[in-house]
Formats: sequence, C-alpha cells, structure tokens
Amino acid sequence: MPKKESKHPFEQSLHRLEKIVTALEGGDVALEDSLKMYEEGIQLSKECMETLTKAELRIKQLTKDLNGKLQLMDFEE
Amino acid sequence: MENEKVLSVSEITKQIKGVLELGFPNLRVQGEISNFKFHSSGHLYFTLKDEGAQISAVMWRGRANQLLFKPTDGMKVIARGNISLYEPRGSYQLDCLGLQPLGVGELQQAFERLKKRLLDEGLFDEEHKKPLPEYPQRIGIVTSPTGAAIRDMISVFSRRMPSVELILIPVKVQGIGAAEEIAQAITDLNNGLWTDVIIIGRGGGSIEDLWAFNEEIVARAIYHSKIPVVSAVGHEIDFSISDFVADLRAPTPSAAAELVVKDGNELVELIRNFCYTMNSSMTNLIESYKQTVGNLTSSYSFHKPQDLLKQRSQQVDELYRRLDQNLHHGMERVSQRFDSLGARINALNPKLVLKRGYSIVRQEGRVVSSRAKAVVNKEASIEFHDGIVEAAITGKRKP
Repeated sequence: MPKKESKHPFEQSLHRLEKIVTALEGGDVALEDSLKMYEEGIQLSKECMETLTKAELRIKQLTKDLNGKLQLMDFEE
Repeated sequence: MENEKVLSVSEITKQIKGVLELGFPNLRVQGEISNFKFHSSGHLYFTLKDEGAQISAVMWRGRANQLLFKPTDGMKVIARGNISLYEPRGSYQLDCLGLQPLGVGELQQAFERLKKRLLDEGLFDEEHKKPLPEYPQRIGIVTSPTGAAIRDMISVFSRRMPSVELILIPVKVQGIGAAEEIAQAITDLNNGLWTDVIIIGRGGGSIEDLWAFNEEIVARAIYHSKIPVVSAVGHEIDFSISDFVADLRAPTPSAAAELVVKDGNELVELIRNFCYTMNSSMTNLIESYKQTVGNLTSSYSFHKPQDLLKQRSQQVDELYRRLDQNLHHGMERVSQRFDSLGARINALNPKLVLKRGYSIVRQEGRVVSSRAKAVVNKEASIEFHDGIVEAAITGKRKP
C-alpha cells in the first residue's frame, strides 16, 4: 500500500532551494554559512533539474483481481 | 356446475399470459418514471405512470446496457416493449426493449432537479473544496482507456511534466452502469490513497453521452473524496453535475492535465534563475569581504602595528618613569594616552562603527543595506551603539 508523504522529495528540494536563494539574496548570512548554503543550493538545483529533464512519463493501470484486490499493472495504449 | 372445468391457478394464469403477451405486441407507451431501481443484477425496475394509472416496468440487463442515459424518477419517457406476465406473482409488467426521453428537455430538467437538490444540500459549497497539490507525483485518471481523453492527457503530461506517474482506472464513461464504475473508481483511489489528485472525465458528446457525470452517485463520490478531484467532461460549453461538486472544473481533459501540473520547462527556467541569483549573490558577498579586508590592510594602523605599539610602549615606559617623578601629574597623562590608543584600535572594529554615529537599519530581521532593499510603510528597527529604536520607513528618494 503506497504511503502518502506530506511532501514529495522534488517539492521539498524546490522549497529548500527557494529559501536558500532568498537568504543568499538577502545578504545578511555570514560568509561561512553562505558558502555552505551555496553548495547545498547548487546540489539541489542539479537534483531538481535531473528530475525535470531526465524523466519519462510512467503510466500504470489500477485494476481489480478476481478477489477484488486492487493491483497496479503497466498500461498499454 | 359439475360439468364446468375447474382450472388450477397455474392453468388460468397461463391462459391469461397467452392473451396478454400476444394481444399487445410492439407497444409504445408514454409515461413518467417513478420508483426507479437499478438492481445490482443489472436489471432496471420502475413504474410508468400518468394521472390516472400506473404500470410496472422492467428492463433486462442486456437492453439496459445499451441505454445511453440513466432514467430517473420524474423523467417523462417513451417506452417500447411488450406486456409480460410473471406467473409466480400473477402480475403483469411492461417488458421494455427501449427507452427514450420524451425530449432533450427531459434530461435537462432532470439535470436541473438534481443540481438544485445537491446545491441545497451543500455539495457545491466553496468551503468544502480542497486545494490541489502544487507538485503532484501520482495522478489518478478515471476515464475510458480507449477514448480521446486519455490520449490527450498523456500527451500533455509527457510534454509538461514527464516526471509524474499516471495511474489510470479504466471505466465505462457512458451508458448504464458507467456512473457506478466512475464512483467506485474514486472510492477505490481514496481507500488506498493511491494518488495525490484525481482527474475524472471524458471527451465531448451529446447530453446522453455525458449523462454518467450528471448522476448523484458520482456527485457523492466526488464530495466524499479526500483526494482533490478535477472534473473534465466534454467540451468547454458542457457543464455537468460533477463539475459543480469537483474541487476544480476543467473545460476539457487536456486542460485538466495543464491545470494539474506546472510546466516543467518553466520550472527549469526558474531553477536556472535561482542558480544565477545564487552565483551573483555569492560573487557580491565575496567581493564585499575582499573590500573590507582590503580596507583594513591598507589602513595605517594595520601596516604599522609594530611601529605603533613600539612607539606607544616607549611612551608608556617614559610615562611610568615620569610617574615616579611626579605621581599626581603623571597619572592624568597616562590615562589620557591609554584612552587614545584604545580609541584607535576600536575604530577598526566594525561593530564599534556604530559609536561613531552610524547605525544599522533592519526590516523583518534583515539588514537594509541599500535603498532598493527598504520596504516602504513597513516597520524597521535602527540599531545604535547603545540600543535599538523602532521606526517605520515612510518613503524613498534618490540620493
């Protein structure tokens, strides 16, 4: 049974990235912390970009088996 | 009396059955539907009535499956069929082969009746509507696996946000039983919380074709769904009951896909901008630190600290010598010298810049380091060397 998370990894990463960008833009983060945040920000950007550009649409079909249990299967167009 | 033949109940019933069933072939009967029941076996049971009379009617599953709309109580129809007699109960009924609404107006009226009832009951209330997730990962699609709707949606998702996963629940989208399948699909998706959002819909068609989405069972399934539901039925001009209950109405299935996911290409652009901003912020930060360090190293006292200290300590030594000679007088001068030395060193401490009459302005915890960063009509705090005062920025002007 799939679990529902409050937020998905992509969404979390993007929100964290947004926060970092705002903080760095604000300019009142100490140099040491800025460098750490910058590194994290670049890493997050890479991950988000990968998610957005490298994925291929997955399509599944939810059907009931003979016992009425729901099962995920590949969808064939 | 004794010669007269006595018939069994079965015998007389059989004779009546023969008369009735052969005596009224190919009937077309107009009436209003009441007591409509869609039995789990797939058969339809209802009563046809007018002001003066009523007749029981049945439509067997095979025929019912071919109906494009679902009859509802109060609907005026023309039924086509024969009379049949059900022997175990001794009752006759109209065995319907076909059923059609008296006019398109009939379906429209049924639509309006249900719409009003559900509206009054609060099923369309804005407060009940759930917001859609910003970045859904799994998207449930309740539609026909072979229709244009699913193809259109797949193409939009592939183009905009191929990182999502589509979970299709194949259902009938028209005809009798379609509404039940759609409602069940919504319930199934909810029971496992399979997806972050659900799109229900189909491509365009006549009002009969779209009828499943006007049925109460679908409306209630949408209303009870914990997962947000987007309704995308037919074309832009078609409105269905499901549109009113859903958390969001999309004019077409493709539009639903566009509403559910953001455009990945725009997000890529956004992230590029983020990277650019981070790079320039870091460059600025490092430049400003360089400058601060540069200022410090180029200052006289930094270049000549050794000299300065030597000079000062010599002076101090000398003062001490003098101190011995003239205690009271010398004491004053020593403290003067020390004060001035301390002041020079302090001048290099950025934090004590404040003592020289400068101050730091902050808004919402952030340093307002330029005119551009100041937010007008917002509270601000000004830090002096001896404390903070609260202020407000009331306007901006060029230097």
